[in-house]
Amino acid sequence: MNQNTIKLMGAMLLAVSVLLASPLVSSSYSAETSGAEAPAVKGDTHKFLYDEHTRKNYGPKADIVWAKPTEVTFSHVVHTKDAGLSCTSCHKGLFSMKAGAVLTSGKMTMAAMAEGKYCGTCHDGSTAFATDTQCASCHTKVEELLPPDPIVWTKPVKAVLFYHKSHTEDYGLACDECHDSLFAMKKGAAEKADDFTMKSLYEGKYCGKCHDGTTAFASDTRCNTCHIGVKGYNRLFGNSASHDTKSQKDPHAGK
Amino acid sequence: MNIEDLEKEINEGIDSLPLQERRKFLKMGLAVTGVFLGGSVLSLTSISHASNQKNADSDIPVEGQYPYPKHYGMIMRQNRCVGCELCVEACKQTNHVPNDHGAWRTAIQEKITTENNTEKREFRPVLCNQCNRPPCVRVCPTKATYKDPETGIVVMDYKKCIGCKTCMAACPYNARYFNEEKYAIDKCNFCIDTRLAEGKKETACAAACPARVRIFGDLKDKSTEIYRLLQTPDSKIWVLRPDTGALPNVFYMNG
Repeated sequence: MNQNTIKLMGAMLLAVSVLLASPLVSSSYSAETSGAEAPAVKGDTHKFLYDEHTRKNYGPKADIVWAKPTEVTFSHVVHTKDAGLSCTSCHKGLFSMKAGAVLTSGKMTMAAMAEGKYCGTCHDGSTAFATDTQCASCHTKVEELLPPDPIVWTKPVKAVLFYHKSHTEDYGLACDECHDSLFAMKKGAAEKADDFTMKSLYEGKYCGKCHDGTTAFASDTRCNTCHIGVKGYNRLFGNSASHDTKSQKDPHAGK
Repeated sequence: MNIEDLEKEINEGIDSLPLQERRKFLKMGLAVTGVFLGGSVLSLTSISHASNQKNADSDIPVEGQYPYPKHYGMIMRQNRCVGCELCVEACKQTNHVPNDHGAWRTAIQEKITTENNTEKREFRPVLCNQCNRPPCVRVCPTKATYKDPETGIVVMDYKKCIGCKTCMAACPYNARYFNEEKYAIDKCNFCIDTRLAEGKKETACAAACPARVRIFGDLKDKSTEIYRLLQTPDSKIWVLRPDTGALPNVFYMNG
């Protein structure tokens, strides 16, 4: 058995080294990416470290990594070998085989997936986990997606602080516990809503979903835990900023 | 507040108190206690205690002892204040308070304490206390500032004011400023000319407050909310700097 394993490993190494050295593979790679619509994909991820056998049956061995708009990792192996999908399940009806093609189209958005397109064909909540859950499964650098802490709301009153870090790390909340059922991901969306008021919170909307007195402190208590007032806001953004400004961009600095 | 807590407070000394006040303070015994927000002495005498005093020196007005036909006052439910300063904005708009440094009719004071590495914020709205015994009125050489005989509001006659600023020095609450445009002293007058004269029931600041911190009304009128709040037995109500003997008509409570 040991001998067999060593033989297999040797064969694989040989195959990989031959493929890496092969001008055929590198030229086909450059042909793919040197087109007019060069996909914004991290270059090194395209050196498919597959062996012929794996690719044929299970697709490229290395994860596909989309860099834009946010880093997303897709594993062929998980979907073919583990989940048992065949190549034609996704190609070409959902995804073109050409590397980066779906990305340059600009059509693959979370909204499109929610409508059942692209990944959303299977990731609908019944066949596979829904696209509005388990964000970190695909968005591998989910912490990079988060806006810098704290979030500062200035409407309807100035100003309220929210820290993603304490809610996700200290209290262990997942993204989908608030997004999008309570808060749209889009920056400033809550502020534009007319019902983003304390009254709504008391009715269990927005922060009030948890801040109800049982899960977390009630939203009609400890007002100044979140409210920092105009003076606190000025301290955060003003010229005489004293603390807590390291992660904050001064809104007036760029002008 | 008990004696043990009091012993931890820093003694402010008696240098800043006039002789008359010292004498009165000693006469009053130990009813006056506490140090808060910048070291002002304030009374934590509960209303039930205060109304037992049954004299004109009581900080909380005693039933049947209102000197004015309409006796306007304000009570701040202080712990509701989130420092949004919508009141300050509304006041500036309504009463044309200039944007100059030091020009103000109402403001929010902020106090930050650190407990177990967490910041605790407190906000306190302040304005002219419309005292029953206003030191500013006593010192005015031209009688430009006086108690309005109808409402008890301390008002200004801008034409008579010579700008000597003696009243500014006399005010225990620093509630007066010199208005360059009017070339006279200006101060909060409970919107007597800008809102009450038009039949509105509230001051601009009270109307603007989203948290209903400021309750404005006639202390004599039993149908008003301020009457109910002031005359609830055993509620804890305090005034700022009761030691001056000015008998302010702006009260503070939590609730």
